[in-house]
This record gives sequence, structure tokens and C-alpha cells, in this order.
Amino acid sequence: MNTQRIGAIFEKDFKDFMKNMMLLTMPVIPIILAIIYSRLGDGEELPIPMLYLIVGVTFSSVTASSMMTMMAEENEKKTLRGLMLSPASFMDIIIGKSLVVGLMTLISLIISLALVGIEPFLNVQAIIGLLLLFLFFLFLGIGIGLFTNSIAATSAYLMPVMFLFGFTPMIDFLGLGEDSLAITIANYFPIMQLIEMHDTNSWLPIGIVAIWTLAAAIFTYICFKKEKTDD
Amino acid sequence: MEHAIKVTGLRKVFGRHAAIEDISIGVKPGEIFGLLGPSGSGKTTTIKILTGELGQTAGEVNVLATNAGAFGTAEFKSRIGILSDNSSLYERLTVYDNLKLFCKLYDAPLAQIDVMLDEVNLKDARNKVVSKLSKGMKQRVLLAKALIHQPELVFLDEPTSALDPGNAAHIHRGLQKLNDAGTTIFITTHDMEEATELCDRVAFLNNGKIQELGSPHALRYKYSTHAFHVETFQDEWLVIENEKENADKIGDLIKSGKVKAIHSDNPTLGQIFLKVTGKELV
Repeated sequence: MNTQRIGAIFEKDFKDFMKNMMLLTMPVIPIILAIIYSRLGDGEELPIPMLYLIVGVTFSSVTASSMMTMMAEENEKKTLRGLMLSPASFMDIIIGKSLVVGLMTLISLIISLALVGIEPFLNVQAIIGLLLLFLFFLFLGIGIGLFTNSIAATSAYLMPVMFLFGFTPMIDFLGLGEDSLAITIANYFPIMQLIEMHDTNSWLPIGIVAIWTLAAAIFTYICFKKEKTDD
Repeated sequence: MEHAIKVTGLRKVFGRHAAIEDISIGVKPGEIFGLLGPSGSGKTTTIKILTGELGQTAGEVNVLATNAGAFGTAEFKSRIGILSDNSSLYERLTVYDNLKLFCKLYDAPLAQIDVMLDEVNLKDARNKVVSKLSKGMKQRVLLAKALIHQPELVFLDEPTSALDPGNAAHIHRGLQKLNDAGTTIFITTHDMEEATELCDRVAFLNNGKIQELGSPHALRYKYSTHAFHVETFQDEWLVIENEKENADKIGDLIKSGKVKAIHSDNPTLGQIFLKVTGKELV
């Protein structure tokens, strides 16, 4: 890793992000959702699943979506190959981009949670959980962005990512019944594990989220190996 | 270093199709080497293998005394410059911001940006957004990007294909200057005038094989019929073989005052390519 190269890629991607209206609107979505939620009820605190819905929207619409759009655009416009042929390593490229996406996610998440109630997240376990969740969505975004060849195609992949991993708590509103297979499987999804984390002192939910993150990292690595050469 | 590029028995197969059958070439340091061939002949595949974008199926590849296995290192990448059909720019950023990125990635001084913009005749476009540039201007920015870190070896895949003759000539002068400073240049082109003007040696690539290799001058002489074509003021053309016994004949014609011009019949590289491969260079 080389800090100068990471800095150069961060600077380039930050400037590009600020000039891309599609990306710029993404961090606004969770903030608008948080404003709507904050008006619900009679000033009562929102239940944990609702808070994680905002977290899920933030990570899917800002982290995963921005990352996959940025990577897919680099792929589509063939600029990624230019970066990979330069002395910058894949890690330099990914870290530079991730810093931009991380910054935007952080701004969007803090504003959103400040509107609906940030207190449940102010402990070490929750912060580690959020960090792992961020990495999970980031890796998904990088991987999908690497194997899709166009920005248009990313929207087809973004939808399942959003609904499966971002809106997972919504499954409770589908009236499937506690014993349904879908609910049982969904309970092992990252966001559901983090919701469960608030009801227990166990680190098991964090462990399960870490496994999801590791799986996403492996997925990204496979996509990178495929993209690295034309073989 | 005896060779900047040394390729022996190179072969590349995609599925059942052999894009490169058997290529062996050696490019000397400081040389401008041209790889000429029609579309689909394997030029771009060759460049991709030489720059580490593709792996070879068989054969030895050595570039700047580095074996193919080490082409992914930052040290190797900083020694080469590439302008290929895969090269592209960030459309929303300015020309300056694009070049600044690559200056920093290659650890080159930022002062190089203005030097390179001057070289490619784009000083006035420094702060223009890339999406507002013409195709030819973008091509020149790409060339500046490929050369900004003053590489030892440059791979140029059709560098002047999108340029008008004026700008192509400007680029040719820049490349010649770069070569005079010691940079080795490996170029692919369809433009035979460009190859004749720039290249120290050229190789004809057809169906993945090198079919002819030599300096443009030597090739033109080799395929010449060694006859003189004499043009008279009466618009007659006389073909006189380059033989000792014809010396007096040519002398007499000149003395008679009939001769408007005497031409050699050296063929162009395009004509030689057609003769060797049976294909036009398109």
C-alpha cells in the first residue's frame, strides 16, 4: 500500500463524486427517510428494527450503491484498467475509493441517526457491528461493480442487495408467520443479527455478521481476479 | 541490457483460436519498433501480453530485463507507458485533474503536466473538462498521460488514429524527440507513412505470425525491382533496369534534355505488406 497513491485516488474520486448527480443524491435518501420516521409517533423512541431499517437503507443506497456505481463506471469507461496498469495496487485503488464512500456513508448515517435516535448505537458492540456491516456492503458493492460492465446493469443487482440485505427487517411486515422458512433464513442475515445483538450480551451475532463480511470479501477477491487480466 | 523487449516463441490461444501462433522478436533499447498488421492480426494481443494485461499460452516474454511473472510489480509498471484501445480518461474531471492523478500515481513531479500539455499541443485545454474535448484532443491527453512519468519504454497502440494530419505530425515530432532522449517505443499502426517516418524497424504481423521484419528502408529495397522510372517532358515513362550497361542510356537521356524526373521503384510498406500477406492494411 502507498499513501500517496491512495490519496491521489481519494482526491480524484471525491472530485468525481461531487460532480456526479446520481451519486450525490444517494446520501440524501436515508436522511429523507429519517426525517419521515422522526415525525411518526408521539415523540416516542423508534423501535430498534426501524432504526436498523435506516441503517440498512444507508448502507445499501449509499455504501453498496455508490461503490458499485463507481466501480462499474470505471469498468464501463475502461478507466479501471488504466489504474490497474499504473503502479497503484488493487488495495490502493479500493482503499482510495472506500474512503470516499466511507466519508459519504458516515455523513449520511450520522445525520440520519441523529434525527431518529443515535443512543442505541453508542456502545462498542454496536459500533463494531456497524463497522462490519459497512464492510459487508462495501465488499458487495466492489464485487458487483467489478463484474458488471455497465452502470445500467448495476441497478439490476442493486435491487436484490437492497431488498435482501438492506430492507431485511421489513420481512416482519409480510405476515409470513414466525415459523416460516423465509423468516428463519432471514434471521441469519446481517441486519437481523445486529437487531438481535441489542437483546443479548452474546457476541455470536457479531460473529455471524463477521462471517457474512468474510464471504463478501472472498466474493470481491474472486471478482478482482477475473477483472485483473483479459484471460 | 541487450534487448528492451525479447520475445521467443510467443503463442496465445483463446479457446480454439490461436490469436498468436509463433512470434519471436527482439527490440533494442532506444529503438522505435513498429508492429504492422490488419485488424485481428494479433497486434493488440501482443501489446497486452507485453504489458502484463494478458498471460501467454507459451513462449518466453522479457521486457526491460523483467520476466512476464513480474509485470504486475509497481517497479515494472513505473518503467513503462501505455496508450492502448483500453486507455481512457475521467470525463467529468479537467485535463489537469486527469494528468495530476497519474502524476501522483507514478510519483512524477506535477511540473510534468505543463511540459506534457505543451508536447501534445494542448496548453490551452489545461482546465477544460474532458467531456468537452474532441476525440483528437482526448487522444492527445491520453498520450500525455502515457508519457507523463517519462517511461523507459512506451507501448503505443494506434496513437494517431484519431488525429488530423497537423496534430499527427506534431505528435510524430514529439515521439521522435522522446526517442532521441533514449526512450524505446513499441508502436502499432495502420499508417504506413507513419511507420516509414518513425520506425527504425517494422514487423509485419499476419494471422498471428511475423511474416517480414526489417527497417522500412531495407524492406523497400528488398522488394524493389531495382529499376529506374524515367519521366520525360513528353509525359512518357521509361523503365530502365539498374544495370551497368544502362548507365550510358540514362546519361544520354539526361544530356538530351528530355528528362523531367527519375524515380526509383521502391514500393511503399503498404504495397510490400500486400505482396507478403495478400492483405490490405486496414
